Order: sequence, then C-alpha cells, then structure tokens
Amino acid sequence: MKLLEKYLPWGSAILALLIALFMALPTGKARGFDVGGFANLPILEGGRVKPLDSLARNSLLVIHSRQGFRFEGRTIGPDEWILDVLFRPAVADQQPIFVIDDTEVLGLIGAQQKQARNYFSLADMAPHLEEIEKQASLAQGKKPQARSRFESAIVNLFDRIYLYYKLRNTLQLTETPGLAWEIQSLGTPEATTRHQALMERAHFRMLPPTAAMGPDSWQSVGQALAAGNTGGPLHPGLIPLAKLSAAYGAGNAEAFNKTLGELDVVVNQLKPEALGHATKETVFNRAQPFFIGLSIYFVAFLALCFSWIYKPETLRKTAYALLSAGAIVHTLGLAARIILQGRPPVTNLYSSAVFVGWGAVILGLITERMYRKGFGTAVAAAAGFASLLVAQNLGTEGDTMEMMRAVLDSNFWLATHVVTITIGYSGTFLAGAIAIAYALRKHIVAVVDPETDKALADMTYGIICFALFFSFIGTVLGGIWADQSWGRFWGWDPKENGALLIVLWNAIILHARMVGLIRERGIMVMAIFGNIITACSWFGVNMLGVGLHSYGFMDQAFYALTGFIASQVVLMGICYAPAKFWQEKPHGKA
Amino acid sequence: MIKTYALQTWKFLKSLQLTIVLLALLMALVVMCTLAQVDLGTVGAVNAYMRSFFVWHQFSFLTFPVPTFPGAALVGLFLTINLVGKTLEIKRTWSKAGMWLVHSGLVILFAGEFVAGMMQVDTNMTIEVGQTVNYVQSYKNAELALIDVTDPTWDEIYSVPDSLLAKGGTIAIPGTPLSVKVKQYFPNAELSNLQPGAPASLATAGVGPSVAVVEKPLTSVDNEMNQVSAFVEPLAGGRSYGTWLASVALGAPQSFTHEGRTYVLSMRLRRQYLPYAFTLKQFRHDVYPGTDIPKNFSSLVQVMNPSRNESREVLIYMNQPLRYEGKTFYQASFGKNDTLSVLSVVENPGWLLPYVSCVLVSLGLLVHFAIVLRRSLKRRQDQKEA
Repeated sequence: MKLLEKYLPWGSAILALLIALFMALPTGKARGFDVGGFANLPILEGGRVKPLDSLARNSLLVIHSRQGFRFEGRTIGPDEWILDVLFRPAVADQQPIFVIDDTEVLGLIGAQQKQARNYFSLADMAPHLEEIEKQASLAQGKKPQARSRFESAIVNLFDRIYLYYKLRNTLQLTETPGLAWEIQSLGTPEATTRHQALMERAHFRMLPPTAAMGPDSWQSVGQALAAGNTGGPLHPGLIPLAKLSAAYGAGNAEAFNKTLGELDVVVNQLKPEALGHATKETVFNRAQPFFIGLSIYFVAFLALCFSWIYKPETLRKTAYALLSAGAIVHTLGLAARIILQGRPPVTNLYSSAVFVGWGAVILGLITERMYRKGFGTAVAAAAGFASLLVAQNLGTEGDTMEMMRAVLDSNFWLATHVVTITIGYSGTFLAGAIAIAYALRKHIVAVVDPETDKALADMTYGIICFALFFSFIGTVLGGIWADQSWGRFWGWDPKENGALLIVLWNAIILHARMVGLIRERGIMVMAIFGNIITACSWFGVNMLGVGLHSYGFMDQAFYALTGFIASQVVLMGICYAPAKFWQEKPHGKA
Repeated sequence: MIKTYALQTWKFLKSLQLTIVLLALLMALVVMCTLAQVDLGTVGAVNAYMRSFFVWHQFSFLTFPVPTFPGAALVGLFLTINLVGKTLEIKRTWSKAGMWLVHSGLVILFAGEFVAGMMQVDTNMTIEVGQTVNYVQSYKNAELALIDVTDPTWDEIYSVPDSLLAKGGTIAIPGTPLSVKVKQYFPNAELSNLQPGAPASLATAGVGPSVAVVEKPLTSVDNEMNQVSAFVEPLAGGRSYGTWLASVALGAPQSFTHEGRTYVLSMRLRRQYLPYAFTLKQFRHDVYPGTDIPKNFSSLVQVMNPSRNESREVLIYMNQPLRYEGKTFYQASFGKNDTLSVLSVVENPGWLLPYVSCVLVSLGLLVHFAIVLRRSLKRRQDQKEA
C-alpha cells in the first residue's frame, strides 16, 4: 500500500502519456485493405495540401458530427468511409451518416424523432431530395441571421448532402461504370461533357502537378482527363487511381494494396515533400492530442475532487501529476499544429479555444507550484477541460487549419497581437475559475480557514494583474495592426470593444481594491463577472454579425452563451452570500 | 471660500472613486455602442455614443431630443482630467517609476483618440489599371462641380460643397461669370423614372425632366451612401440656362454653353486635389490554389510628384500601406474584374501617438512588475533570515 502511494502520482501520469502515445500508432487494415495508406495520400483542398485523412475526418465531422459510425456490425472510421464514398458509392449511400436533430426537418423527410440523435443514409432521404433542395434554396435567399430554426436546419442539411455529393463525384461520376472506363472512353463524343461535370463537382484535387505545370497546379481527375482528351500525355497518377477504384469496388484487397504502392511512387516522383508532410499530419490526426488532453484533465479533476474526502496528500499529488501529463499532451498538440501550419498558435476561433485552455493550464500549474493547496490543479484541470470541450465543438465546422484570408495573412501580428490577447483571456478566465472555487468552498467547507481564503484572494489578484497586462498590451497591439491594415487605430468595432471591456473591467477591479471599495469577497464576485465579459467578447461579438472582425454567425452557440452567463450570475450570488447564509435560520425541532 | 470649493472639486476630480465610476460608465457606453451597431451601423453608433458629449434620446411624447446618458467624449474628458490629476499625485520616487510611465502612456493614448476623433480625415482613391489620378474623394460628402471643358487639354474645375448647397439661395462662382441658384436640395434621395401622369419635375433641361426624385432620410448604415441631389439653375449675364437635376446617382454628363465656353455640370463625391498623382500599373488579387479564398491584394502604383522631382514605383498591399506627404494609402477594395483598385486614404496628424503610448505603457508595466517582484523577493529573504 505504501508503495502504491509512493508511485501512484507519477505512475498515473506515465500511464496517461503511454495511452496518448498508443493513440498515435497506425491502425490496422480494414477488411484487408490498407485504408490508412490510401488516406495518407496528399491532396489539395481548401487552398492547402493535406492528407486525404484530414479531409475524411473533417467531412465526416461536418456530416455526422462524429469521426466514426456503426454499419453492418462494424465501426467504420473516416478512412474507410472516404474510400466507400469515392469508390463504392452504392454502399456509401446506404450508410446512415446524416445526423438530423430538427423535428421539422425530420417531418419533412417523413421520419419521426426516435432517439436523441437520428441518423439517415442518402438512400433513406432519396425520395425527399427534391423537396429538401427546394426548401433550402428558399431559405438561402435570406441572410443567415434572419433565418428561422427550421430554415437554418434545412440549409445545414442541404450543405451536408451537397458536400457528400461532391465527394462522391470527385474521382469518378457515380452514374458511370468508373474511372477505368472513363480512361478507355477518352476521345468518344460524350466524354467532354462528363469531364466538365467531373471538374465542376470535384471537391478536392488528388493529382500532384507534373513537371510541365506550375508548382501549385494540382489537378482534379476531371482536369487530367480533359487534358488527356485533347491529345496531351495522360497524368501518371490516373492509371493507378483507376486500378485502385476497380480493386476496391471488386473487393480485391491484395490488388488494392499493391497498386497503392505504385501510386505512392508516382506521388513521390512528382511532389517529393508532399507525402512526408501528409504523413506527419495523419499522425497528428490519429493522435487527437486535444481529445486525449481533455480526457486526462477530466481524470485529474476527478482525482482532485476525491482528494478532499480520501487520501488527500496522495490524490492531490496524483491530480497534479495527471494535470502535468495533460499539459504535456496539450503542449505537444499545440506545437504540432504550429509546425504543420507554419503559423503562430492562434489563427481562428477553434485554435483560440485550444490556446486559452493551454494558457489557463500553464498558469494553474505555476499557481499550484507556488501555493500547493490543490486549487491551482482543480481550477486548471476544469479550465483546460472546459476550453478543450469548447474547441471540440468548434472543430466540427470543417478544416481547423484553414488558410488565412488576406488581411490575416501576417505571422508577425498573429504571433504578437493574437497571442497576447488570448493569454489575456486565459488569465481572466483562470481568475474567474479560482473565484468560483473560492465561492463553492466557502459554502461547502464548514471550517473557517482564513489562510486559504487569503491565499486564493492573492492568487486571483495576481492573475488579474497578469491578465490586465496581457489584455492591455494585446489590445493596443491590435490597434496598431488595425492602423497598419485598415488605416485607423481604433474603430469601435465589436471585437475591439470586447477586448476593451476586458481591459476596463480588470482595471476597475484593481482600482476598486486599491481604494478599499472591495475586499476579498468583492474581488471574487468581480472576477466571476470577468468570465461573463470575456465569454461575450470572445464569442458574443461573432453573434452580432457586424464589423470587420466577425468570422461567422453561430446560433446554437448563442444558447450556450446565454446558459453560461446565467450560471455565472448564479455563482456570483453564491459568492456574495456569506457562509453563514445556510445557518441564519435556526432549524426548529419538529 | 472659493478656494475650498475649488480644492474640493479638484480633490473630487482626481479621486480614485471617480476613476471607477468613469470606467464603469465607459464600459456601459462600449456595450451600448456595440449593440447599437446592429441597427445604426458602425459610424452611426460611434457618433451617437462615442464621439458625442451626451447620448440623446427622442422620446415620443417630446418634440425635442433629451440627453439621457453622458457620451464617451464627456467621460473621456473627465477621465483624462482624472488621470492627469492622479498621475501628478503619484509620488515622484523611483519605486513609482513604472506607474508614472503607465499613466503618462495612457494620457497620450487618450490624446491620440481625441486627435483622431477631431482631426482624422478619411477619403479614398479609386484607380483603374493604367489610369492616373491626382485627387482623393470623400466617402459621403458631395459637391456640385462645374467643369469648363472648352480647352481639350485642360479642365478648369469649379465646385460648390454640399454644405453650401444645403443653405440654398444663389451662389456666385468665383472666377466665372456664372452663378447657381439652388431651387431644391436633397441630402438623400431616391431617383426613378418619372411615370406618366406623375407631377412634373422641377427640372427643365438635361435628363432631369424624365426623373422622379423622392426625398429619403439620411442613412448612416455601413456600405450605404446618401444620394445627394439638387435642382439647380445656372445663371449668367442675366439669363437662365434652365433648371437641371444634379445627383450623385446620375452617371451621364450634362452640359451647357455660355459665351462659347462649355460647362459640364455634375454632382459628385467631394474631391481634394493633390500636388502629386498616382498611376496604377498593376493590380493583383491572389487566391489560394484551387479556391476563391483571397491570399493577397496588392496595387503597384507609380508615384509622380513634380514638386519633389520624384517618380518611383510603390507596392501597396495588405498590412503594408504607403505613408506619403501626411496621408496614408491602404489597399482597401477592388472591382471591375480586378482592373480597379480602391485605396483608402487617411490623414491623421496624431497617428504616431498610440505607438508612443504602447511603448510607454509596456515599459511602465514591466518596470513596475520588476520593482514589485524585487520587493517581494526581498520580503521572502527577510522572512527566511528572521
């Protein structure tokens, strides 16, 4: 038992890291087919070269909101799914991947709400496709903000069906016998029309540029066929691709795996660095560091909660060790994204959530080292878990490593302004989280312990100073960036206003404490309100849909934000109520 | 007696309690301004809440608007006084050096925003590829231009700003025998084809007689422009040249001839002519391969300034503006199948102030934290020794 207590903390951390490492290992073959090897092939989509695996995962997330599904008694992962969509469309059409939650949309396709989530295949929806398209095109006439719940849902469903339709017709037209037949039919009368259709429907480009073309001119199958049709040389990738299609359709795993090697050789000849880069990204995708991090933080938080009732010393250390393990995985994930993308850590809303969580965890680790009361761990684990959960939800909208639009295409400003301001968010959230812990503790713990209270207040104060520093510098740097790109230092744009509110609020807290207007409890209540302000400026401004900074309207997030604000208001009330609150009315004996 | 009042007022003005109240008011204003942008547009909301001394509200039961809340300009003014008062009070010791730097940096930041609010002029320059342009034009103010085009090599331009047109009456055009009588002026209007049977137009010449003009309320919504229009009657040598409709919504040129000189009459966005000219040599709109996602916009311009004997090429692109002769030119927009580039032009004499402020505040905070850290380390050391 003594031994267990001695080794539990670091043993559990090492175990967590081993699990994380295990996730990154390649998966086996599916039905004998080397689906992982195929998904590792580089493609051009969304303006960047990435492995097909990334596209498969993101598309399945968009369509299905998960990265895998059950079909005919097996779990199908994204790599196997994309092969079915590309080469066995008849099978893919039967797979129940379209998730529909809206009851009115369910009614439209003649179905009823059965469980919490309802999945349909394209074949299920086939009789209603025309109606879906009609309703969606009606709704698309309206601005996203003006759409009703049903209209948003139908547009969303239509977009997902359209994405599926494009994927299915990227390498070969569904209604034709396949790519091999298409190559044989070069020069026949109808071929040009079909090549045109293939070009229009292609969702990605799979054929690397040949020496005769520019370094960025990847080709879709349609483009390559059209070039071959006019008598030019046939792209060397076309024949292996056609063989792969035939082998996969016929269920011939051996031929498929052999031809895959041929295609790898072609890709390596044309674009030597692309395959290596794609492999790195595939490993990153498989490892899912932020999902693993999220799970470790959750376990760390549980361990800490248990430490309050059982073996406090050991479990507190275990929680700290687990938090450190989570932080390592989180940091590696962040570093991998930076290397893969060649960009500073924050480039969009998704990565800002990842980074805010990271900042909060690192700050929490430092606080725990300084005070060793377990609060730093608890708060950091909770903050890390919550922000990675937010990130997971934001990540279902598509590629999280999308290319930066012109104005944002500046590594210098992304690295300075965006990173500092995001650290400011982290700090404000962490201060708020400590304040919540303080509030709950005051009511749960019966024994009055002024020393711990003071330590918590000191932590919060210190972190607010830290947050003020970063949010102020970040805001001013943002102003300077705006001056460089839009010609004004300050334009009262919603995003700028949000950042300003955080600065003002932190400044108010510090000054109010200086005059003595607020003491320990006052700081805590105000720190919790800081959570509301930060959440509003982080996400709320995107919901207004105005200004140069607004990156997209999110309506489901609106309810989440409202719920969050309500919860914080309740916590402020709890924090403000004195600990005596529960004892004020003496219980009369019945 | 007066001295005590003055002292008390000064004490109040520099108190930290006032700081907190002012910061809270500013927060409230920022929230209101942000929410108001949905309806009013950015410019409208900023003018209503940020660049005014009071926020005015028109109650339905009153005929005049009443101030309901202090505006950010007022709050900012008090905050500046408060800040200066407080800054002067900070002990002049080395241990407070950080705070000194931070607060003087803030004073400069506020000053910068005041200067921008009062003196910044926003215009734009629209150039097509190959075209040479020697003026910038306003985003919203218009002018009535009378252009003497008699000499084919030289245009002589006379213009009347919209603010003068709004006053009405007869306006003499200096340097010409002409004067213009403003018959009706619309700060914003909608133009349409005059339907048969509708009341006749005021206009008697040019395209005016076939156009119906309906007055519209002024708009401040982003991307919407006020269609300034007016019925004007040019007069010269005791005779009238008819009543003309001039509007920024009209494209076709209208002209009349007086004593052998031909004048083109048009309402256009107000122009400011520059002593130098830009020629657009190339405009690029780069996208990421295989997508429509813009990667970069850039304009290659030839800057020609005879007074400085200067002619050189400059590339203006994203995050890389050209600062020239007190004006800053930014790549803002484009059009006409990527053959037209719009540069936004900003003239702000205080543009450097935020940069100075940023340096001062960052330095100040670093110094302050270093001092605090040193003090706390010393305290720990003392505790250990004790």
